[in-house]
Amino acid sequence: MVSVINTVDTSHEDMIHDAQMDYYGTRLATCSSDRTVKIFDVRNGGQILVADLRGHEGPVWQVAWAHPMFGNVLASCSYDRKVIVWKEENGSWDKMYEYCGHESSVNSVCWGPYDFGLILACGSSDGAISLLTFTGDQQWDVKKISNAHTIGCNAVSWAPAVVPGSLIDQPSGQKPNCVKRFVSGGCDNLVKLWKEEDGQWKEDQKLEAHSDWVRDVGWAPSIGLPTSTIASCSQDGRVFIWTCDDPAGNTWTAKLLHKFNDVVWHVSWSITGNILAVSGGDNKVTLWKESMDGQWACISDVSKGQGAVSTITDTQQNEQ
Amino acid sequence: MAAHWSSENVVVEFRDAQATAMSVDCLGSHAVLSGRRFLYMVNLEAPSEPPRKIGRQSKWDVGTVQWNPHRSESHVFAASSNQRVDLYSWRNGCGEVHTSLQGHTRVISDLDWSWFEPEFLVTSSVDTYIYIWDTRDTRKPTVALSAVAGASQVKWNRKNQNLLASSHDGDVRIWDKRKPNTAAEYLAAHLSKIHGLDWHPDNEFILATSSQDNSVRFWDFRQPRKYLNILSCQVPVWKARYTPFSNGLVTVMVPQLRRENSLLLWSTLDLNSPVHAFVGHDDVVLEFQWRPQKEGSKDYQLVTWSRDQTLRIWRVDPQLQKLCISDVVDELVDGMSLTVETEKSLVSQEPDGQFSVGLAAENLQDQDGSLSSVVGSGVPQTLQQEFSLVNLQIRNVDVEMDALNRSCVVSAHFGSHQVHLVVKFPAQYPNNAAPTFQFVSPTTIPSATKTKIQKILTDTSLQKVKRNQNCLEPCVRQLVSCLESDVTQEDGPVSGPFVLSNPVTPALQAFPRVTNTYGSYQDANIPFPRTSGARFCGAGCLVYFTRPITMHRSAPPTEPTPRSLSALSAYHSGVLTPMKMRSESQSTLRLYSGSPTRSDKDTVSISSFYYKERKPPISASRRWSVQTLCDWPKSRRFKTKREDFGSRTIKLAGKVIVQEISCLLPVHKSLGDGYILNMKDIQETCQKNAAASLTVGRRDVAKVWALASAATSQDLSPDSDPDTETPWARHPFGRHLLETLLDHYSHMSDVQTLAMLCSVFRAQAPPPDSFSLYGLHPARSSVFSSNHSRYPSYTSGSVTSGSCSSTSDSITTWTAGRDSEHGNPWGESSPDDYRHGNQGHTDPRERERELHDMNKRLLDPANTLQFDDFKKCYGEILYRWGLREKRADVLKFASCPPEPHKGIEFGVYCCHCRSQARGTQCAVCKRLTFQCAICHVAVRGSSNFCLSCGHGGHTSHVMDWFRRQDECPAGCGCHCLLQSTF
Repeated sequence: MVSVINTVDTSHEDMIHDAQMDYYGTRLATCSSDRTVKIFDVRNGGQILVADLRGHEGPVWQVAWAHPMFGNVLASCSYDRKVIVWKEENGSWDKMYEYCGHESSVNSVCWGPYDFGLILACGSSDGAISLLTFTGDQQWDVKKISNAHTIGCNAVSWAPAVVPGSLIDQPSGQKPNCVKRFVSGGCDNLVKLWKEEDGQWKEDQKLEAHSDWVRDVGWAPSIGLPTSTIASCSQDGRVFIWTCDDPAGNTWTAKLLHKFNDVVWHVSWSITGNILAVSGGDNKVTLWKESMDGQWACISDVSKGQGAVSTITDTQQNEQ
Repeated sequence: MAAHWSSENVVVEFRDAQATAMSVDCLGSHAVLSGRRFLYMVNLEAPSEPPRKIGRQSKWDVGTVQWNPHRSESHVFAASSNQRVDLYSWRNGCGEVHTSLQGHTRVISDLDWSWFEPEFLVTSSVDTYIYIWDTRDTRKPTVALSAVAGASQVKWNRKNQNLLASSHDGDVRIWDKRKPNTAAEYLAAHLSKIHGLDWHPDNEFILATSSQDNSVRFWDFRQPRKYLNILSCQVPVWKARYTPFSNGLVTVMVPQLRRENSLLLWSTLDLNSPVHAFVGHDDVVLEFQWRPQKEGSKDYQLVTWSRDQTLRIWRVDPQLQKLCISDVVDELVDGMSLTVETEKSLVSQEPDGQFSVGLAAENLQDQDGSLSSVVGSGVPQTLQQEFSLVNLQIRNVDVEMDALNRSCVVSAHFGSHQVHLVVKFPAQYPNNAAPTFQFVSPTTIPSATKTKIQKILTDTSLQKVKRNQNCLEPCVRQLVSCLESDVTQEDGPVSGPFVLSNPVTPALQAFPRVTNTYGSYQDANIPFPRTSGARFCGAGCLVYFTRPITMHRSAPPTEPTPRSLSALSAYHSGVLTPMKMRSESQSTLRLYSGSPTRSDKDTVSISSFYYKERKPPISASRRWSVQTLCDWPKSRRFKTKREDFGSRTIKLAGKVIVQEISCLLPVHKSLGDGYILNMKDIQETCQKNAAASLTVGRRDVAKVWALASAATSQDLSPDSDPDTETPWARHPFGRHLLETLLDHYSHMSDVQTLAMLCSVFRAQAPPPDSFSLYGLHPARSSVFSSNHSRYPSYTSGSVTSGSCSSTSDSITTWTAGRDSEHGNPWGESSPDDYRHGNQGHTDPRERERELHDMNKRLLDPANTLQFDDFKKCYGEILYRWGLREKRADVLKFASCPPEPHKGIEFGVYCCHCRSQARGTQCAVCKRLTFQCAICHVAVRGSSNFCLSCGHGGHTSHVMDWFRRQDECPAGCGCHCLLQSTF
């Protein structure tokens, strides 16, 4: 059964804008308009405040955990135009890096797959996307895609390192060269795909379907199937699922998941990439699942503030 | 602020007109006013004459009316009425409809005559189409532009006959009429509806937009991302149009109070303050148009129609026009302005305040026209102007300004302290005469602090007035920062018990104040923050947070959440709108304010969008204060809130809930733990796994394991001879069945079952050749040492291609021992399984066997890489579950393509010329690069070297040598066996 295993009272002094657990699901990071980031140890249903990270001078919009092979590393982005990378060393959290290269609020941060090392994508309201790569020894390499989105970039999400499609057509046995790719969404109502070629970031695709600002994008994790999947949501209340079966990654087809009555702020994929959590201005969380025949259905509804996911179908995988 | 000339010439009232639109013809002789029952033709030469009327029968108001701008067609005007455009012709004192354009299916929002072709008219409508009509053929539009979204404005470019612009809610599209399929450019110009659009009269690329979002923006559509300039107002802007003379702009704002001035003239070169306000209309100006300049006259005339049912004609003389040109001049004539200012400030002491300033300025102009440019400069010149323009939206600070007595009282509350400061401005201020500062009771700060602050303020003000600059705002800000730092020191950074006070209300509000605060317009691009969200985390958790139940949205649920952060500050500017915007604006108001008492706006946070603060109502005079978000960093609001509300603390942050949702996932942690992969007994593996899947209720997977057990049974194991029988894999229940199963579980995203099946079937048919997996490699050299030499072996094959692959062979062998993650990719199969084809498969029997090997495998070898991905992804999930051994078990079955060679490569110094060489032959001297230390013959084939002393030679010689000896054969004394051990 779906069950609440923990309820964390964050004691933030203002509204929370993001909450995310680490790779193992043992720690929870939250960020808020009160300009702080808090980290809780949430093992075994407990909640121990591990750190209260202060350093931002404005509301903190989003946090992102890096893969644990790099240690305990957390990135946060804020209205104050800064991105801060925090690192735990000997039990205490400190700033590892502070990036101030944006001219407006930084709205989204996302770590790349660990195969590429410690690499962070940041999307800002100044329209640019920055890619920060840790090159060792306190050094960070910064690449900036200016004017990635007209007016502003609202969300970034990395593609899994396993690039489906390219695998199948590998002629020789050589390990496929993983291309760094990510997706972004912005105020130009567009979803854009980017890839790195010869160390330069290039716009790969431009996906057009939304009629208002794109608020979030999520590249689904790969389980090794030759289909890439991206979810995008927008101010217009629509959530689109984009899929691409083409090994070259050029043909993307959009499917409308649902049109909500209010803005949709966030989309998140389950680890197996078959369930999508959607949340928005209506203060509700819904879970969507693709059936065997490719239709998306809402399988649950988290009623507002009540804290219970009531599963509509709980046994869908036993229906064999 | 600018002076208010009364340059209005004519006022005519048309009490019964009820006109909604107005247009001036291109000759400047007539204006048409469109009411519902009649169109009134006003003779502008003699406006007080009773107007001629054209009757109309329609229940719809006229939306837009416009005269044809071409002299040849100057008798024609177009008026839109609901879905139709009527073309009227006005001749000899009477007019009639001569034709109608019908095509739109919804109400027409705007129309515009082409500047180049007299017959062309463009119309825009809510029905999403923009039609270009040729009035010679009225049956259908000649061009239809499909915009998808309804348009509110459409305007032809004045310099390029093919271009036009349309506005759609907050966006602008630029069209080329030759390419009607799609807009040529797209500007996401404003956050809310655009009410006005105007092309630059002289520049093909520039346009101005005015919007509900309280701003006018200037665009070069070749740079759609960023506006060229912005004019931030505090109220919605109904229209903004360029003037026929250079660099001017006229705006109609929608003020809060009907009587406030809404018609302003600006210089586009300096948007800090308007150049001129046209004072007179008692209500909102609905339309304004320029009368063409008469021959020989330098004046322009502005014709305005207002909801107060009066038509006014304003003269804009060359002096006023000049004000729009440049204020750079003003800076240059600073010295001159000195005298002017002195006079003016004296004048401003007269009781009738600001108007006298204007008069004085006008008088001055009359005396000396060259000074006129000084007057309109953006820099406030008098105390009164300074007071009205000063931006003192500072938390905890209140400023009462009294221009008549040339003083103001600054009250601030910081922590437990109060500060009251009287500032007195001498008559010469700001011309090198600094104001005086005096603390008055009940100021509670220590006297040392007082002295310090007084000194700082004096310094600050002196600095400013030395340059004849105003100093009130800098001084107040200095005061605040001093107090703030003091309080912080006293109370420590955490608990500053700040008492909230409301920001200042400027004493004068002659026209909507223009603020250039950073926060207000930058925020327009920042998305409205998320206040709820859900994320899948870890392996099977859903983390979500929502707004607390106590936080109701102030807006009714039918209102969508705004898209931009600036909505918060817009809310604080208190919006009122003219009749055309009324319905829209009311909803906006509802959205932003939950209750009437919500008029206080000392703080803005995202939370204020949602919940109703329980605070005593604040007087309406504070409606002007805008606390922009950029003040956040300084604010101590949160602590304050706690203090204020005491026991009634309202929780702004909800709880974060972690939910276990793994039951929704197709993978199971308990199965991950329960599954086994025993190579020695695949049958047992399958049976145990079947039992394990039953325990978690996956009957389908249990059956699959039963099938797997059957398919892997010994009876079905393929014969090694390709001729005896078709292998089971070719049977429908063989590979085909397995593929169907994999396909099914792929659809379910059940990567656990996928990975396990792939592992078991791979185990069942161990790869015949570790290399053949990766396609058919070219011939490779045959060196593979099953027992590792303690020497690193460097193989210098005679075949060039061979040397690479053998290098990577040895690398692979080494890493196997070190790195458990890569594991031994060949699992428990013995080294005997490997075949090392010497010279490729030239033998047809070989080839057949190769093919047979492929055929007898149940997993299609072509998809090996995909199967590996299943295992890797499943391995990741096992890792998250903390099942690392299980992960290693699974990854053993992942084929491991040789890593691109990135490890150690041995470089050689040529023994003849000492130059660096790679391989056996020196690129410089073309001789073989190294000699065997034992036989002194050049080495071409397999060789071993000591990493310490660098000596070595033919592998066989070296091996022989070290069987009996410890020291280096070269006699260098190195104990190679010991030194090279690693």
